[in-house]
Amino acid sequence: MTSDPRAFLALDLGAATSSVALVARLRHRWRLIGALAMPASIDVDAIVRLLLERTAVGDPELARTLGIARAGSFRSLPRLVAKSARPQRLAAIAASDRAVRPLTEAARRSGWGVTSATPQSADPLTMTSMLLDPGIDAVLLGAGEPPGPDERRALDDIASLVAAVAARRPELTVILAGSMAEELSRFEDYQGQRQGEVLLVPVASAGDPPGSAIGELLDDLRAPRDDARRAISRAAAALADALDRRIEVVDIGFDGGLRATATPGVAGARSRVVASFIADAGLVPREPDDETVDRVLAWSTVAIDRHRLRDRLRELRFSPWSDASGEGARLRLAAARAALAVLMEATMHHESDPAPDLIVASGGAWAVAPGPAIALAIADVVRRPAAVGVAFDHARLLAPLGSIPDGTERRQLIADMADDVLAPLASVVIPGGIRQGRSAGHVTVHAASSSSELELIPGGLELIDLPPGERATAELRFRDTVRLGGRGRRFAVDVAGGLGGLLVDLRDVPLRLPDRPERRRELLEAWQDSLWITRDR
Amino acid sequence: MIDQGLEYVTRRTIVTGPIEVRFPLRPGDRALVAAGDVLVPGSRIADRLREAHLEEVRGGPVPEESRPGDRWAHVVSDTGPHLRRSHDESSGELLFELGGHWRMATGEHPEQIDTPVGGVVRDVRPGIGIRVRAVGRVIRGVEALGEPSRGVLAINPEPPEGAGPGTRLKAGSLDVGLAGAILVVGSRVDAETLTRARAMGLRGIIVAGLAGKERRDFLASEARQRASLHRLPTFAVLVLDGAVRRPIASPISSVLAAIAGREVAIVMDPPALVFDESEVDLAPPPTDLVRVRAGERVGREGRWAGLAGLRRFADGTFLEAGWIRSDGGVPMAVPLADLERFA
Repeated sequence: MTSDPRAFLALDLGAATSSVALVARLRHRWRLIGALAMPASIDVDAIVRLLLERTAVGDPELARTLGIARAGSFRSLPRLVAKSARPQRLAAIAASDRAVRPLTEAARRSGWGVTSATPQSADPLTMTSMLLDPGIDAVLLGAGEPPGPDERRALDDIASLVAAVAARRPELTVILAGSMAEELSRFEDYQGQRQGEVLLVPVASAGDPPGSAIGELLDDLRAPRDDARRAISRAAAALADALDRRIEVVDIGFDGGLRATATPGVAGARSRVVASFIADAGLVPREPDDETVDRVLAWSTVAIDRHRLRDRLRELRFSPWSDASGEGARLRLAAARAALAVLMEATMHHESDPAPDLIVASGGAWAVAPGPAIALAIADVVRRPAAVGVAFDHARLLAPLGSIPDGTERRQLIADMADDVLAPLASVVIPGGIRQGRSAGHVTVHAASSSSELELIPGGLELIDLPPGERATAELRFRDTVRLGGRGRRFAVDVAGGLGGLLVDLRDVPLRLPDRPERRRELLEAWQDSLWITRDR
Repeated sequence: MIDQGLEYVTRRTIVTGPIEVRFPLRPGDRALVAAGDVLVPGSRIADRLREAHLEEVRGGPVPEESRPGDRWAHVVSDTGPHLRRSHDESSGELLFELGGHWRMATGEHPEQIDTPVGGVVRDVRPGIGIRVRAVGRVIRGVEALGEPSRGVLAINPEPPEGAGPGTRLKAGSLDVGLAGAILVVGSRVDAETLTRARAMGLRGIIVAGLAGKERRDFLASEARQRASLHRLPTFAVLVLDGAVRRPIASPISSVLAAIAGREVAIVMDPPALVFDESEVDLAPPPTDLVRVRAGERVGREGRWAGLAGLRRFADGTFLEAGWIRSDGGVPMAVPLADLERFA
């Protein structure tokens, strides 16, 4: 993308979804002309053709200007491609349960599916079987530096065992962490057969925050630079700079979930991004277990028993784009909420920073959901006492734009296209520490044309119509002291409109739902009804 | 040349060419074949240990050049008294060397693993698996449970009148006359029927959908059966579509009907039905035949009638759709992602 084309295609090729966007330069600005997403089983060129045909029908003059009106033009357009890397599994091995925990955590946050074992939890035969499983792509063998007293006795045993497996599986990547680096000689290439790498990495606790050093290396190893999730992290940083706001991207895809928190650079410094990709936070795991079923059931507004729900989830895994309307759409959103909750739980370390100004929802899990319903799903799960905007990467542009190798060019393009990349869904105000009672206070929204006032009822969701593009100031007056960024009783918050308007969320932080399934469903349904206005009733 | 709109419908290949089949091995299992060996169906390819355990190698030296994964056996000298030992307890698969002593996986009661398909052994990796390039054609499924199996293909003998392929097989419909058969049962089957089928000597079941509860119950029954000393012949379940109820797609039913009465095999990895009947003429289905594979009209088939564009469906969800005409009726709009076509 260093030449100067008038139009290009931005492709996000995920495990379940192929998304194509047409971007063109119009009046000295890059603009999104159109986008189309379809199941990954459909030929990408066919999707491109359909998008260009529709563009040509919708605006023939624009199509002629861009040179996409003629047949075969789809071949000549430059393409910016981000592709999701194949999910990979790693076995973390250490001499004790205590020592394996930080290794497992670091690998888990780097997007690996993780299995772990120690001599305390598994016998050598079980460990050998586990490592010989062709589904294991890499083994992370680690020890403290110096090794702890609980590790010393078993270090030789596990090094011998893993070295023997590595000799039998030359394709296996071996990562030696901490003092296990001293065992490197055991992993020397045998007869030139080794195809997998042998890498030395720092001890599991190295870096700031602890584990970040090993995490970065594991991330590099898991996926190439143009991997969609890694590209989204770079795009988040560029977006933070472009908007000068703290951005958090939550991406729920077929094979995992990404949380990327970006802070804009100040005084010429570069923006900072913390990203965690969690393989367990995919829309539906390969084999939905009881825990997964319970998590989804907790968010389901559909009356369904556990067996049938498990069947529906397995179908969703087999064919992630099918059954996407009606009951299927509601189950899909319940599964997306459950996956988002897994992502949030696994990335608590992101919450040491202040709450973001803008949360961007991304990924195939939201692809066919109505915008306001996505905003509610985010508000249900991402609960920090703050006022945040919620937007949607509707054309799945973040990944392809983030894959531009040159940082300056990437930031310029994203700054140019920020309004097109993000569909504004809602502004959400979540005060923390609301006490039960008849009234928590009042909110007055001063928009350009009018003002409106609402009473704030504890435990409820207050919706104020504020269309996309409109800006307003919400003046909140509480009876008691609450948390909203800081502590206080009176707050004035700048808010922006969206498809779902302004949402003042007075529910508990974190959200507490009734234990009785019927009551829980009723409550979830009532909240959903208020925002999913296109639903059939 | 197919209608251009059909490009946006997922294509399902009914019958594919030869595949590579993997038979998993665990540490201690003994492969009896080598790369390049030509196999006929029923050949014994490995011995699997029922309960492998770890032992330190004793009773003889391990050759210097030994590598993990090699077999080691205690060589009994020709002279002197012989002690009678339990089966093969003094041999095993070398796992790793620790402090100058090798550990090996060994055990008693080996069970034989037979290949249900003919082909050529591509690769043998002790403790990992055997890969065989299978001879024949293949119908792929989404999942296979049980063990690789071979039998004569039979179609559900008692379909209710007019029920077509969307039937549910009841346990009472089975009889011993089906022993040795791989039975096509239609839309779904319960765990009781599967257990009974295995007890009656059937070698497999082919079904469109297997519900999670039935799957779990069958796997538990299978685990109990494996744990027992008296084992029944191998039995496999091939699931063609998924977990919810729907009939078998008519183009696949047609192929199954065409090869009924012939020997077929079910393999686990990848989950598939393998048959070597090159003389059977399998006519391709009409190119515009589409089937609803999910959603409220699941299982219905019809003819493609063109793209319908972005349309509103239940609960205000907007999806790309296509028109399909079923039984000559008025065209109906179905989300493209809920459709499949055949090739």
